[in-house]
Amino acid sequence: MTKDMKPAQAISTQLKEADILHSLASAIAVVSSGNELVYCNDTFIHWFDVPRELFIGHSVSDLIDSVRSRFLPPEAAHECLRGDGDSVATREFTVRHGDHALSLRQDSSAWRDSSGRMLGHIFAFHDITREKAIDRMKTEFISVASHELRTPMTSIKGSIDLVLSGFAGQIGTETQELLEIAHKSCDRLIRLINDILDLAKIEAGQIKLTKVKLDLRDPVERSIRGVKSYGDQVGVKIVMVAPDDLPDIEVDKDRIEQVVTNLLSNAIKFSPEGGLIQVRLTVEDGSIYCRVVDQGCGIAEQDVDKVFGKFQQVGDSPRKGGTGLGLAIAQALVQEHGGKIWVESKLDEGSQFVFRLPLPEAH
Amino acid sequence: MAINHILLVEDDPDIQVVARMSLKMSGIAKITVLNNGEECLAKVGEIHPDLILLDVMMPKMDGYETCKRLKADPTTQGIPVIFLTAKAQQFEIVQGLKLGAAGYLIKPFNPSTLHDEILSVLSQKASG
Repeated sequence: MTKDMKPAQAISTQLKEADILHSLASAIAVVSSGNELVYCNDTFIHWFDVPRELFIGHSVSDLIDSVRSRFLPPEAAHECLRGDGDSVATREFTVRHGDHALSLRQDSSAWRDSSGRMLGHIFAFHDITREKAIDRMKTEFISVASHELRTPMTSIKGSIDLVLSGFAGQIGTETQELLEIAHKSCDRLIRLINDILDLAKIEAGQIKLTKVKLDLRDPVERSIRGVKSYGDQVGVKIVMVAPDDLPDIEVDKDRIEQVVTNLLSNAIKFSPEGGLIQVRLTVEDGSIYCRVVDQGCGIAEQDVDKVFGKFQQVGDSPRKGGTGLGLAIAQALVQEHGGKIWVESKLDEGSQFVFRLPLPEAH
Repeated sequence: MAINHILLVEDDPDIQVVARMSLKMSGIAKITVLNNGEECLAKVGEIHPDLILLDVMMPKMDGYETCKRLKADPTTQGIPVIFLTAKAQQFEIVQGLKLGAAGYLIKPFNPSTLHDEILSVLSQKASG
């Protein structure tokens, strides 16, 4: 160390990039365009238990052949150290390491020189064993909670259904009225259980979207039909306005129907008797916009940010009901589709809940 | 369509009562109730039901394993199975149907849905 040099600077000058890479908790490997292993750090050697000198400068397929039996299942090995052209790609593997299984996430990106010439791919492997274990615990919790809550609800609701049907003998008007209250509350509790579990699944990243190309009017029309009887009960009319040439979009039909149903249920809840709700579909800036416009009481400016929160009730509704999770679920599902949802509202002038879903880029 | 005999395999005594009454209300002549998959496999040969309503989470042998064994046995594979279960996640439904079940009903159920599902499964069997 020279006299004027600060300790950190001295350390910095002594550091070698290779030492840093070898000390990383993640494994790194670099593969040339000719599919030869150019570099791997110590963590890579440790996890895959391969002698570095045997493979550096040699074909990656030799390396994969020698470690194939460690992969669970072995066929997954062919995805390891495989680049995807220019794209940044992520894959997950499970490999045997000693007496336990290691879950790894492989991130790959293109390796280029300073002139932009592609030289190959760089791979980074991260140990996600703990995250995977937590995911499994979450799945198990959701499954057990679902079962444990639904089982007693089955007996309660089933018994009420049977008594109300007259199967167990005639019942008086007051008894019927009381049982109908219990029946309605049961249905509400079941919806709440479903919503809580749904949101838990989305938040745990366990919702798998089954996307198909479709006309967005289809799920919207199904949602309108689904909530029509609720609207009729309270004298609220729902109409859809959409252009004839609406382009198809790739979405999960059932989940988008769930989003629109939740927005419509919310709009009905806040609409005055005789009110009109419009569902407007438009194409703007490479996205399809869906606006659910009501004539309800609107939302005060300071409350706008709260509406998508869990169990948030904002404003005075002429009707009770709902689980307090519908808008949170709608938000999570739209985001899961790569879209965005928001609300535009003025107090006493109604609200407009808007979500936009990106259309595939035109090539 | 006349439904003569339904076998209900369910471990929860309260749900046994509710399901039995729901089936009775639907006009089903005979309902046999067993407590788990082991009992089902032991007795299904003598019961000869038209259809089996099968819970999933049960002691001794769960519904998935029971269904698998029913479908693997040539003497019982023709009996339609409907899962009647609180397991409501998508992958659980897919798992049940992959095992050869003809239907999947999620608890809580209502009596008319139960009746409709049974009728639909049996008419599919009759026409197929």
